[in-house]
Amino acid sequence: MNAADSHAGTAYGPAGSTPPFPRMELRFGHPGRRYEPGEWVTAEYTIDGLNGERPRALERSALWYTEGKGEEDLGVHFFERFLTPETIDRVVPEGTFALQLPPSPLSYEGVIVKIRWCIRLRIFFESGRDHVSEHVFTVGRVPPSILP
Amino acid sequence: MRLPRFFTKKRGHRRTDSHAWGSFAEGLFYALLVGAGVVFGLLLVTGAVTYAPADPDSVVLQRGYEWWMWLLTLLMPVALLAFGGSGLVRVVRTWGKSQEHRAAASRTVILEGLAGPSAGAASRPAIPSCDNLENSPGIVLRYRLPLESPENWSLVGFGLFALLWNAVVVVLAVGVGADLIGGTTDWLLIGLLVPFVVVGVVGVALFVRSLVLSTSVGPTHVEISDHPLVPGRRYDVRLGQGGAHLFRSIDLGLEMEETATFRQGTDTRTQRIVVRRVPVSGWQLVQPVPGGIFEARVPLTIPADAMHSFSSENNAVQWRIVVRAQPDRWPEFIRVFPVVVIPVKAAGAGAFPESVEAMG
Repeated sequence: MNAADSHAGTAYGPAGSTPPFPRMELRFGHPGRRYEPGEWVTAEYTIDGLNGERPRALERSALWYTEGKGEEDLGVHFFERFLTPETIDRVVPEGTFALQLPPSPLSYEGVIVKIRWCIRLRIFFESGRDHVSEHVFTVGRVPPSILP
Repeated sequence: MRLPRFFTKKRGHRRTDSHAWGSFAEGLFYALLVGAGVVFGLLLVTGAVTYAPADPDSVVLQRGYEWWMWLLTLLMPVALLAFGGSGLVRVVRTWGKSQEHRAAASRTVILEGLAGPSAGAASRPAIPSCDNLENSPGIVLRYRLPLESPENWSLVGFGLFALLWNAVVVVLAVGVGADLIGGTTDWLLIGLLVPFVVVGVVGVALFVRSLVLSTSVGPTHVEISDHPLVPGRRYDVRLGQGGAHLFRSIDLGLEMEETATFRQGTDTRTQRIVVRRVPVSGWQLVQPVPGGIFEARVPLTIPADAMHSFSSENNAVQWRIVVRAQPDRWPEFIRVFPVVVIPVKAAGAGAFPESVEAMG
């Protein structure tokens, strides 16, 4: 099973005996979350609410994906996966990382095609469940498109 | 543990429920196909055995085929094994992997598979290649842009339809003729032939009309001083329009089009929408020199805030130079010349750093 929260929002999960999902917060180096292509993105994150549950793996990624009328496309620019207890202890419950953005694609708010950039933190637990947290940011300064 | 819901929203590849249950069901489906292929194959290879209750002492064995019969009968089990097996391998390879992990892994494989990616393609992710747009030098300016005209596809479509339909008409007509020569008249066949002939004649007429329209107005050429294009920069464009007729108007412009491909049920559909039009230049009452062409050289500035060209599997943002012309005695025609716009930072950029790592 998996669950997701976006924009460092509140964690949620099904009610019942399942342990609550952790709360993952991420702070960008730029308060406005707006970056230029080729610029370095620095991010600090904290993971709360693990309640003693042991993470099996953590994934940190920076990617773009499309939204809109078409099928979703996705391109991963940066991907790290931490698997062993030693490496996981270094990145959970808090960590920082930095990555340099590529020159393209830029964030775009079109009519039927939209391009978004985000950082995703995905944590996998020994129980088999996983939880993903998505933090959107902007690359470039392309104004939204409107029909002529 | 949450039980899977059987009726959940699904659109294309998007799933709204558990990925684990979805992958399990997918794997089960492919495993069933493999199982069916094995069972069918074994039944065919071992042969069928029949038993007659009226004569319990005799058993009839049916075995042995010609080689072509073997091929024919094994086609179904082999197809089931191939389809089910490949699907099962795909499910096993992606089992337990996140969407990002799968995308990163596939990109690594793609990068490893490229012996020598071009510097331009490697430094401009998700931007379409310019190779096909820069392989033709212009007469005056640096590049002559290739034409992407919907009229040409209409012409090919009408031509193919007219050819295939009239082939059927000829077969029917030969049958009717043979009957008439033999002294019999099949009124049903003649009645069937009449609407077929009408549709065939209309098909030929549409093809001839398209052919005349595409050839009578003369060719259109567009050359450009540099490529790919960068927002905020100015380029020279040379337009050449052939034809012996008077043109009431010729307009040259720049357009940005969004393209989205999506699934509706079992259909795959593509929607295109022009979201930005930039007029470049226009001419009224143009009369090309007899035997020559109308020529004009105009400046073209890419808007500083323009979105760059973008291309992914199901979505695209495309820029093109569009020529709209209204001949005096013919319908308006549109000719499209695709171009690629790159971000300012990508112009002259080297390879960018990328990272795909698994720690421990």
